[in-house]
Amino acid sequence: MTDTQPTMPQPEQPPRRLTRSTTDRMIGGVAGGLGRHLNIDPLAIRITFVILTFAGGLGLIAYLLCVLFVPVDDPSAPPLKWGLARTVGAGLLVVAALAILIPDWFWGPLVPLLVVAGAVVYLLVRMLREDGGTHAGHVAARIAIGIVLVALAVGGFVAAAAGTALGGGIVVAGLVIACGVGLVGGAFRGGARWLIVPAVVLALPLAAVAATDLDVRGTWGDRTFRPATVAELAGGYEMGVGSLKVDMRDVQLPAGRTDLPLEIGMGEIQVLVQDDVCVTTDADVGVGAVNTGEGDQGGIDVDVSDDRDIAPGVRHLHVIADVGIGHVMIGDRFFDWDGPGRWRDDRFDALEAGTSRAACQGAA
Amino acid sequence: MTPRPGYDPASLIAGIILIALGGLLLLDQADVLELRSEFVLPAVLAAVGGILLACGLAGPPRGRP
Repeated sequence: MTDTQPTMPQPEQPPRRLTRSTTDRMIGGVAGGLGRHLNIDPLAIRITFVILTFAGGLGLIAYLLCVLFVPVDDPSAPPLKWGLARTVGAGLLVVAALAILIPDWFWGPLVPLLVVAGAVVYLLVRMLREDGGTHAGHVAARIAIGIVLVALAVGGFVAAAAGTALGGGIVVAGLVIACGVGLVGGAFRGGARWLIVPAVVLALPLAAVAATDLDVRGTWGDRTFRPATVAELAGGYEMGVGSLKVDMRDVQLPAGRTDLPLEIGMGEIQVLVQDDVCVTTDADVGVGAVNTGEGDQGGIDVDVSDDRDIAPGVRHLHVIADVGIGHVMIGDRFFDWDGPGRWRDDRFDALEAGTSRAACQGAA
Repeated sequence: MTPRPGYDPASLIAGIILIALGGLLLLDQADVLELRSEFVLPAVLAAVGGILLACGLAGPPRGRP
């Protein structure tokens, strides 16, 4: 005898619809809703959104579209209370979006590093959240998180320095101010001292680059210029990083002063001149040295100004050098650095002391 | 025993210092000011020192023994 029980008619399930979560939300509930819909941890989706925000603003745009077009699961839910973490997180995303809008601010190379760092932090946080883990496992996870955070701090330090030197100093300064505002706001909500660390990590390289006026935008590498006419000197020469050499021996300078503006962010400037040319130098070096026939000066904020009297009718070359980090050399032979142990005094022939001075008096 | 204030003074002071420092560096980067290293580097050291001093004098954050 078979006993067949009648099956109860199941109520028809509504189609599974994507909605924004009102119970698991940091800002708009998009990650919570997507995580529920796709059965994925919302933390992974939040990290993905942040990473994609740095990839051309894609994450931010996608998030805003979801907020606009995806309905919430419970329209009667109370509005979100904005805490400190949400405020800081949203502020950082806004700053990131603004940074993306600024030309020349290139985030591309950072994206793979952010992906790796985000994935590692996510996995480690998941390990710590699991109750079943061993004590040794938790300790190892904390150590690993510490190492990742130190690596991120070092990376942030380097990125802030590079970003500032590449022209993004305003953004970095804005991030420091944003951290300061977060600290002031957080002071009345239980404190937010953790913001001190990223602020200092950003402020130190920013200050160092600001102090040296380092600007590495422009050409990188070794360039040698051999102008043939005075007209070619009008705009001067400019490079970002490397070696900028100007061979002036083929130029027939006219009587009177001829300016030669030179600028490099990081590296060396070498100018070759004939012995019978009067050379004066105005040099501004953030960190480094100036080596001319009138002697050497080196250190931080080296400011060389040569305003001697020049005899009328003398062929006078006035070098105006601006160097962030590096050195300026005026000589009658190029210096080729060919490895450790070779310092400029070994190979570089500076103008002989007094040669240029005599030329400036019309004695050469 | 002096009751602790209803806010975290270390966060407040550190925030004000960082806003001032960030503002100074922002003006430099925007070419409004021309800061030189003999001013910037001591200013940064003073800022870091001020933050450390504030954190030390304020004690641990609220909620921690």
